[in-house]
Amino acid sequence: MKVAIVVQRYGPGINGGAELHARYIAERLARHGDVEVLTTCASDYVTWKNEFPPGVETVNGIAVRRFRVKHERDPLVFAKRSERVFLQRHSLGDELDWLDAEGPTSPAMVDYIAKHVADYDYCLFFSYRYYHAYYGARAAGSRAILVPTAERDATIGLSIFQPLFRSVRAVMYNSPEEQAMIHAVSGNQRVPGVVVGIGSDVPNSPQAARFRQKYKIRGPFAVYVGRVDQNKGCNELFEFFQGYLKDPAGKLSLILIGTSLLPVPEHPRIRHLGFLNDADKFDAMAAADLLIMPSYYESLSMVALEAWALGRPVLANGKCDVLKGQCIRSNAGLYYETLGEFVGTLEAIEQNRWLSGTLGRNGRQFFRDQYDWPVIERKYLDMFDRLKKEPPVAAGDPLPGWFDRRRQDLPAAQDVLAKLPKGPAGRRS
Amino acid sequence: MPDFNVRSDSVNVELIMEQIRERIREKRGVDYTEQQIRDLAAVKLEKFLDPTGVRSDLLDQFRKALPAYEPPELPNYAFEDATLFESHRAPVRWLRKLLAPFLKLLFNPNPLIQALHIQSRLNTMSAEREARREAARRGMDQLYYELIHNLVIETTRLGIDNKNLKMRLESVSSRLEFNERRARALESVVVYKTAEPEERPVQRAPAQTPHRSAPQPSYPSQTQSAPARSAPPQAPPPPPPAPVAAMPAPTQAQEPDAAGQAVPAEGPGQRSRRRRRRRGRRGGGPAAAIMGTPETTPEASTLTDPTEQMDAMDRMDDDGSPESEEAHDVAVERVEQAAEAQAESADPVLDSSTAAPIDIPPSPPDDVPGASSAVTEHAPPAVTEQAPNAVAEQAPDAVTEHAPDAVTEQAPDAVAEHAAPAATEQVPSAVPEQVPPAAADGHGTTGAEQAARDPDQQ
Repeated sequence: MKVAIVVQRYGPGINGGAELHARYIAERLARHGDVEVLTTCASDYVTWKNEFPPGVETVNGIAVRRFRVKHERDPLVFAKRSERVFLQRHSLGDELDWLDAEGPTSPAMVDYIAKHVADYDYCLFFSYRYYHAYYGARAAGSRAILVPTAERDATIGLSIFQPLFRSVRAVMYNSPEEQAMIHAVSGNQRVPGVVVGIGSDVPNSPQAARFRQKYKIRGPFAVYVGRVDQNKGCNELFEFFQGYLKDPAGKLSLILIGTSLLPVPEHPRIRHLGFLNDADKFDAMAAADLLIMPSYYESLSMVALEAWALGRPVLANGKCDVLKGQCIRSNAGLYYETLGEFVGTLEAIEQNRWLSGTLGRNGRQFFRDQYDWPVIERKYLDMFDRLKKEPPVAAGDPLPGWFDRRRQDLPAAQDVLAKLPKGPAGRRS
Repeated sequence: MPDFNVRSDSVNVELIMEQIRERIREKRGVDYTEQQIRDLAAVKLEKFLDPTGVRSDLLDQFRKALPAYEPPELPNYAFEDATLFESHRAPVRWLRKLLAPFLKLLFNPNPLIQALHIQSRLNTMSAEREARREAARRGMDQLYYELIHNLVIETTRLGIDNKNLKMRLESVSSRLEFNERRARALESVVVYKTAEPEERPVQRAPAQTPHRSAPQPSYPSQTQSAPARSAPPQAPPPPPPAPVAAMPAPTQAQEPDAAGQAVPAEGPGQRSRRRRRRRGRRGGGPAAAIMGTPETTPEASTLTDPTEQMDAMDRMDDDGSPESEEAHDVAVERVEQAAEAQAESADPVLDSSTAAPIDIPPSPPDDVPGASSAVTEHAPPAVTEQAPNAVAEQAPDAVTEHAPDAVTEQAPDAVAEHAAPAATEQVPSAVPEQVPPAAADGHGTTGAEQAARDPDQQ
């Protein structure tokens, strides 16, 4: 079996969610077959500047074939086109222009896929929203398997992606919420799909005491791991945690781990440690009383899964359907939507050891049952076996013609998104 | 308040969240849903308006100033079927009517007539609608005016309340600060007490011995103070009470003994200077000196505690009640007297050097070899033994400044001014033990005499 992993960026130093997801999957599937990664020369997801040399290299034993990006992203053009397709009535041509502006525009990679698709049994495309997935999946035809990593944002409302979801051979979802959302927007229920997610290499015995000693941290604390960014809900986290600090009964501090794009509030009980290596990160999570996930948009929070794997409860943003659904399904985390709920849940976890311990145990069990690597690998292999036995559901729709691309009859993507059902899977409204 | 029912591994997160939300609702008292908030926001503004609550005639003035609305005369026209053929000349009108069929043969004027007729009606309707809108707008303007007026009143009231609260907060914080200083002073007194026992018996021993006995050579300063304390037989009768002593307060009945004699003639200028000095001492002086210590001289101890007097004065200042100038002045004087008496008794350098020559009896005992020489020779070592180094450094200056002659003429205020910095700031605890032989008051009453009148202090 030979599998191609097609992703927008790839490398050991690239820690974006989908990119890391792709790397983990590539390295795990390499134990069961021949895996080659097709990616671009870019390492920056904002500019898509060509930084790696084109050609083939080996990363952690995986062959990586890089293709040049035709042009870098122009932020002004991209913002203008985004406003057009997200907020206004527009045409298919506008959406294709938006996709071209978003990048990474690499026709060379698409051409390569079209020419060599027969060399692979399956091509796994990561992140539906980028150029390589839209055009690459069309080029791969019935061998394309999509790992959409879709979030509940306006991009899902663009019309060009609906045929994509319907035409790929299979879809590997990250969560039931993501699956339900894509079903609702594209009607691709007939396409084989399975909720897989991703595993994590969590150390067996993280050194919590070592972390406390190294960073001179005493007392209980909650940890946030990830980019300290407004898009990740960190502004709201700071606001809510400062509200919690006003309660004299609360003793928790907040430890932030990750690169900061925001000014961190200056308070003795809020500490930003910056980017840490994996060992320190896992030690920090093991030392923490809980993990806070303030993000509004997540297709799957790997950090939350890692916290659960370490037996730590999670406090998630209830406005994110995926996180809320995971908390409910696992019975391993609480969620908040308001300041009152944030303080209340934080105090509940802090003051009730029974609750904290039970949530942590449930999380560990949930991780073992759903997201341990053998489980993940098995789901992929089962899907490959299933696809071997089943014929393709439908051929891909042809690209729209000249007139179709110019007909201004598509609703704003935000309007489409607003009509999609909300809430955790199983109790959607 | 319900607690979480988590006593087993079977946790239901949704149930826990419900319990947490229930707790939040209980804490908050009422929990508005989104729909309720929208309903509240949608309530018409008129329901909140209360024109009767407007407590001025501004609204009437506003209405008077508002010119009466008169709908403008908009141009319009009437257009009927025969309007096209009308004329004030009868032959022309007849000719047009005659040729009308021919005209209709050439073109159809009916649509034109209908259009112009409709336009005429539309113009009329538009003018009426505009008039109604204007009237409604003016009514809304009045409502807005009332609303803004009420808001201004409430804002003003809130501003006044805010200012009052700020003043009250300032008053409370100043009282708190004063109490903290007082507490620190009391703590310093406790420390002093623990360090004192070694010296106290030594210092008091000479005072209890008759002055005729030989002075202890190792404690020359006590030889100076001992005769003064044992002076009651020669003490002159108590001076007449000062005017301040006429105050009805029981504590002030004893003031003439202490400082009342120093106050009798003082003008408003002196009073204001004292007030300034008092503020200065309140701001910076060591609290022990202000507070006095348990070992204070008879004058100071018989007076009411000056901090209490200040406290009383502060209370008058702080409670926001209308301040009586007279009561304030009395309180200031009481504080000044207490502070002066304390300063006088608390300045060993000044007293031991300047007053000794005055109070030495005219016929000193034979075993006392010259009081003045004893003062000049022995006073500095006594100070250096019992006071910090700073006092020892300042002692010579004080001695030279207050020569015996000058001291007798010096006003009490001047003494206090010179004495206070040296004694109250730097010798807060050692001072009271050094009861000076002469308080150098204006009447020549010595501290020893005053002490003799108070047997408890002996």
